[in-house]
Amino acid sequence: MKEIHAGGIGARLPRKEDIPILRGEGRYFADISIAGQLHVMFLRSPHAHARILSIDVSAAEELPGVVAVVTGEMIRNEMLPLPQPSVGGGLPGRKPKFWPLAVEKVKFHGEPVAAVVAETPYLAEDALEAIFVEYEPLAYVGDMEAALDPSSPRVHEDWNDNEIFKSNFRATRSADDHAAHIEEAKRRVAEAPFVVRQRFRTHRCGITALEPRGALAVWDATEGITTWMTTQRPHLQRLSLAEVLKLPQAKVRVITPRDQGGGFGMKGSVYREPLLVAYLARHLRRPVRWLETREENLMAAGQGRDQIHDIELAADADGRLVALRDKIHTDAGDGCLGGTWGYAMPMVGGMRLPNAYILPFCDIQLRVAVTNKASLCPARGFGIFAPRFALERALDMLARKIGIEPAELLRKNFITTFPARLSTGLGYSSGDFVKTFDRLVELVDIPEFRRRQKEALSLGRYIGLGISTGVEVSGVDNLSYLTATGGPSYATVDLRVDPEGHVTVAYGDGPTGQGSQTTIAQVVAEELGIDPQNVTVLSGDTLTTTYSPGTVSGRGASMVLPAVALACRDLKKKIVRVIANDASIVAGDEEFSFADGYIIYGGNSNLRRSFAEVAHRIVIGAVDLPPGDTGGLEQRAVFEATRGNVCFSAHAAFVEVSPETGRVKITRYVTSDDAGVVINPLIVEGQIQGGVVQGISNFFFEEYVYNDEGQQMTSTLESYKIAKAPDVPRIEIYHDAGTPNPSNPLGTRGIGEGCIAPVPGALGNAISDALRPLGIEITDLPVRPGALFHKMNAALKQASTSAGN
Amino acid sequence: MNTSVSITINGIAYERSIPIRMLLVDFIRYEAGLTGTHVGCTFEGACGACTVHLDGDAIKSCLVLAVQCDGRWITMVEGLAEGSELHPLQIAFNEHHALQCGYCTSGLLMTGVDLIEKDSELNEEKVRHGITGNLCRCAGYSNIVDAILSVARARTREEEE
Repeated sequence: MKEIHAGGIGARLPRKEDIPILRGEGRYFADISIAGQLHVMFLRSPHAHARILSIDVSAAEELPGVVAVVTGEMIRNEMLPLPQPSVGGGLPGRKPKFWPLAVEKVKFHGEPVAAVVAETPYLAEDALEAIFVEYEPLAYVGDMEAALDPSSPRVHEDWNDNEIFKSNFRATRSADDHAAHIEEAKRRVAEAPFVVRQRFRTHRCGITALEPRGALAVWDATEGITTWMTTQRPHLQRLSLAEVLKLPQAKVRVITPRDQGGGFGMKGSVYREPLLVAYLARHLRRPVRWLETREENLMAAGQGRDQIHDIELAADADGRLVALRDKIHTDAGDGCLGGTWGYAMPMVGGMRLPNAYILPFCDIQLRVAVTNKASLCPARGFGIFAPRFALERALDMLARKIGIEPAELLRKNFITTFPARLSTGLGYSSGDFVKTFDRLVELVDIPEFRRRQKEALSLGRYIGLGISTGVEVSGVDNLSYLTATGGPSYATVDLRVDPEGHVTVAYGDGPTGQGSQTTIAQVVAEELGIDPQNVTVLSGDTLTTTYSPGTVSGRGASMVLPAVALACRDLKKKIVRVIANDASIVAGDEEFSFADGYIIYGGNSNLRRSFAEVAHRIVIGAVDLPPGDTGGLEQRAVFEATRGNVCFSAHAAFVEVSPETGRVKITRYVTSDDAGVVINPLIVEGQIQGGVVQGISNFFFEEYVYNDEGQQMTSTLESYKIAKAPDVPRIEIYHDAGTPNPSNPLGTRGIGEGCIAPVPGALGNAISDALRPLGIEITDLPVRPGALFHKMNAALKQASTSAGN
Repeated sequence: MNTSVSITINGIAYERSIPIRMLLVDFIRYEAGLTGTHVGCTFEGACGACTVHLDGDAIKSCLVLAVQCDGRWITMVEGLAEGSELHPLQIAFNEHHALQCGYCTSGLLMTGVDLIEKDSELNEEKVRHGITGNLCRCAGYSNIVDAILSVARARTREEEE
């Protein structure tokens, strides 16, 4: 085993970013103020779907402290609507046109209709009540399947239907080949001895971050617009701001605060509000600030998942999967969300549906509808939470049909040859799914559990075990990313050494709590042999960093860290050249080692110079350098992925369901993950601990509820319930059966994004396993104790009646 | 309508004329200029990120008006460390990786210190229920529970010795 250096790769180094936060000295968005700033509050639509007949802002304008009141009509000729090229991208579906404030009609409960700018937030909020809007309510479109019926009222009136996107995941097949492919899938399903046909529904929920959104913009006639913004993707925000404000990109600067209170996809989109804030700052020539309320956040941002899967999954007599068919429906809401337009998530989810399994014939049909709800938004797992629930549940049911342990069915069907390509076209670079899965199976001891389960049942107790897996593609090639997002995927870092040997790494993402200051420092420490405390990380400022896609898709470990390693390795070459030149020796790079703050020449241990001294020598004492070298010690590196870097996870959940209350207690939850080479186990385990708990929270608690009129009923954290400490178990995490990733120079894989996706399958399978004696299968999320209690009660009554007969 | 108050925060008295409707958390953030206390919900007491100590008890500063605190003393996250010396719970949070984005952390520290100071027989279940008023979205709670328990246990050991 490789030796772990203090603070280097593999060390459980407590995070560098913690200390200021623990002192209360974090620098979050709400902590930033500019002298003279004005405050914006939004008036939001009380209707799900209504025509705006008139808006009277005159009374609001007269109130003390009010500087301006704007409506959609007032801004529609002042700024361009979305989509624009940077956020329209290469996405293959429709992109509805929208401005930051509703124009002509409102399309969901909570859509911004007007904005007040005032001297204080309190006064701005007062003025909202003095705006009078006359609405003509229109029919609410709220059901994703009904919305696709030609008779449905239309959400976007310039469209002839409500279908924003559809796909049959043809990959590179010709139309004829694909028709034959589908026929073959149908034939295989029709002829298979074992088939599961089932509808699975995953509700509307997401990962709302604890810190809401915000934007603070300052206009300067020379510099242009500077906007502090909560975002995972500052460079995307910059491009879109330039487009809608019709400014050169050089006149737009976006800065993410040093600390951001979580993102999870919710802060990855181009939203209405920051665009308007920037417009207002330019229009009013005053700094303008908007700090989102939780209510606004729950109404307008962060709603994810929301899919229906009608699955047919077939296996042969030996338990080998032969074909998968799935009709997927997704509710995109109004689809007015720059970047993903409410359908990039189900699109990616459909591509990834086959997961870790050999499924050469897939007939997957996706239809995405627009409705009168807030646009569907990225949420950790990016489109795969619902597909994983559906497929992993279907596999579990199929195993029961065949009469084998679900774990045996999964193991028989894992992809074992890499690189692999799914029938949907998606590529997997490497991994050893069987090895990582076997580790999980070894940890859970299925035969022993079956014995205990039988014993428990004889005592009237319902305990169950559920297993599921997930493959996450963390870090993809430029072409795939361009097609899916409109921007490339590569990671760029700029590394700079100061004369004391302190290293600064700058990159253009917007981290939201991933610990990247620490992991980047560890990679630098490993490569350059210095103390990780001598590394500073700068991110999120578009003026001082180059283009970067953002803190999304588990890119930190799989893309950014490899770029850091490459930069260090290039830098070392220069350092070695200078040392060799100074000592008048001819030596290869490999003859020097970098450790403990020194650079040591293997050929003569007397040749040993401190990193700091050499840094000073090159940055300040920049004379007599080797021919061709210049002063200064800086290096840029770009890492591009050649093919999808995958991260495999296997989860096992143990539950007990109470027949008295329907409550589900998770008695044990174990994961085995292939995170590749782990930079910091503390951080990897933290990601999984948190990701699994978010999955549990989505599964049991969280749900965005719209009533029959499209009123959003869950706009507080009292009604949108998030799991609390007593609701969740301690997750047992193992990453000792991973495999180094050969596709990047560090061997890393991105664990953060995908670790949530196996959770609904594991829990659904565990509860179904516990309740199998009662014939109850979990097919719809969320799972609530009340509904389970009634189902169990009915089944138990029926059982006692038939026993009585 | 404004009124004059004097509120002592981390040992410093802040005398201000404020609107009577001003929440304590806004007083802390905007009048005293201390930003360690955060707001994560719509002033409904649901997230706990704004938890501070009022006269020694953990409370949610979004559920209290600033005028109610006239003449009283408040301790909040910035007052936990003694100079450069961190409070043991702050160190434990770092060692146990009990924070990721850190937005909930100041509130959880204040709730955690309150639990440790008031219950000398803390266990995992008590801690999990004790922090039920604080939401954490990133970390999944277990490392937070471990951090609080580690300090509680060290304190118990000290008292026994």
